[in-house]
Amino acid sequence: MTAELPPGLALQKVDERIMTLNVGPQHPGSGHMRIIVQIDGDFIVACDPDPGYVHRGEEKMAEYRNYITNIPHLERPVIHDSCNVLYPYVLGAEELLGIEVPERAKYIRVIASELNRCIYTMYWLAIYGIFLGHSTMFMWPAGDREFLIDLMEKMSGARVTHAHFVPGGVRNDLPPNFEDVCLRQVNYFEKRIKEYGAVFYDNPILISRTEKTGVLSRQDAIRLGTTGSVLRASGVDYDLRKKEPYDVYDELDFQTNVLKEGDSYARSKVPWLDMMESCRIIRHALEKMPKSGSVRVKLKPNPKGAIDSVYKRVESGRGSLGCYIVSDKKPEPYRVKLSVGSFRNLIALPYLLKGEKLGNMPSVYWSLNYWPVEADR
Amino acid sequence: MGTATGIIKALNSGIKHIAIKRFTLRYPEEKLKFAGDGYQFDPSTGVGIAGLKGRHMLFHDHCTGCQLCSIACEGVAEAIAMVKVPDQQTQNKKSIMPQIDYGKCVFCGLCVDACPFYALYMTNDYELSSFSKEGLIYTPAQLAVKPYVAQDSEIKITDRGATHG
Repeated sequence: MTAELPPGLALQKVDERIMTLNVGPQHPGSGHMRIIVQIDGDFIVACDPDPGYVHRGEEKMAEYRNYITNIPHLERPVIHDSCNVLYPYVLGAEELLGIEVPERAKYIRVIASELNRCIYTMYWLAIYGIFLGHSTMFMWPAGDREFLIDLMEKMSGARVTHAHFVPGGVRNDLPPNFEDVCLRQVNYFEKRIKEYGAVFYDNPILISRTEKTGVLSRQDAIRLGTTGSVLRASGVDYDLRKKEPYDVYDELDFQTNVLKEGDSYARSKVPWLDMMESCRIIRHALEKMPKSGSVRVKLKPNPKGAIDSVYKRVESGRGSLGCYIVSDKKPEPYRVKLSVGSFRNLIALPYLLKGEKLGNMPSVYWSLNYWPVEADR
Repeated sequence: MGTATGIIKALNSGIKHIAIKRFTLRYPEEKLKFAGDGYQFDPSTGVGIAGLKGRHMLFHDHCTGCQLCSIACEGVAEAIAMVKVPDQQTQNKKSIMPQIDYGKCVFCGLCVDACPFYALYMTNDYELSSFSKEGLIYTPAQLAVKPYVAQDSEIKITDRGATHG
């Protein structure tokens, strides 16, 4: 064909070997997100993650609701981790409204957010098991989550999307006898997750699938701006609970888990180790918590924030989670911006998948601790 | 550790579970026990009372028709509509009371926090499914009924594992 092309148009050369494959957006191997992979035989040549399928406009919605009615919808991005998603917003709103939180409420918040971190991680681990074809690892975490969901239900009244944190404390005090029940179930939960070592983390089949796949070096992890368990699996000791303690984390005794390998296996092991630390934090917090006292500061109806902006961040199940609130002395915030850990970790995916086999794609992708709904907001 | 040892250890850890008690809750036959009598709120202290956030309960002798619950729901779910009621209450001059659409309600409980007259609480009733959308709309008369909720099992932890006893 010799026909002249219009200026600005050029024909792309068709490659005979490379094939483009759309994984998702409704695929069990990607969640609600599309990953465009180019494969040469069984090997991935290039990868282009395409988030945005479940964008819900949470940030824009927050501009039309006041500081209290924002709470139920701002926790929707991650319903399993709803206390942690709400945490930076509540901390920021407290600073804007000028509220001092009672001591007991701070401890209840820490317990609730650690329980939520475990609930989220167990769900994540269950899906990770499914991605690797390990159906026991789906059944066990999905069942053992129940101990913690039961505790959250007793504490806040809802199994997911608790709407428990408010600017000024928490919605309600703990039910009677909660401390004993919490201690008993958390201890049993810790015993159960230790059993995952034999069946999953020390399992040679799992290790051969995930070791040395998708290796993220220490320099790359810092350069790409990853957070949370991905960063800690690459040998960087960075945990906001230690580095910028909020509420009462500086008074509690725990350590961060750091692994050096930076492969899928290390990235899947760090959240598991973190869960055991969470159990320690919960036990310590239950011990140190003031036994009585107020848990909520009484607010005026429709509180107005000062003319100011505030940025707060917390360590969620997926890494650093920030919330930027601008207030212009109205009952509604002028702007709410969520800076989420999932979206930052996604940046590493094209680097990790280059040269991997297509069969390793789900495990590498899910080991990044990515939650599509949170990243799209 | 060799490959064979690792696989045997993994299998062994699974086989041990044959002797462990079943943790599954057989839902329609067994039902979970809850901490309290449903989520309630004390306006004098501004702190709630822990409990399950289930279907609401409306006390007709306390409700003044002030619409604060409806205003609280405006930015959340828009599930509450104020409707005329036939019964005449002395404190309720306009004779309007909330009607709740459970097709929209997200069970956040902010309407309970908003009520200053101890008129709206939440109960342990969570079985609200209906064959039609109209069946999910609860009128003030339906909301006044105290639900019966069977609560027979809670998590028990023994040496042989956890179970819903």
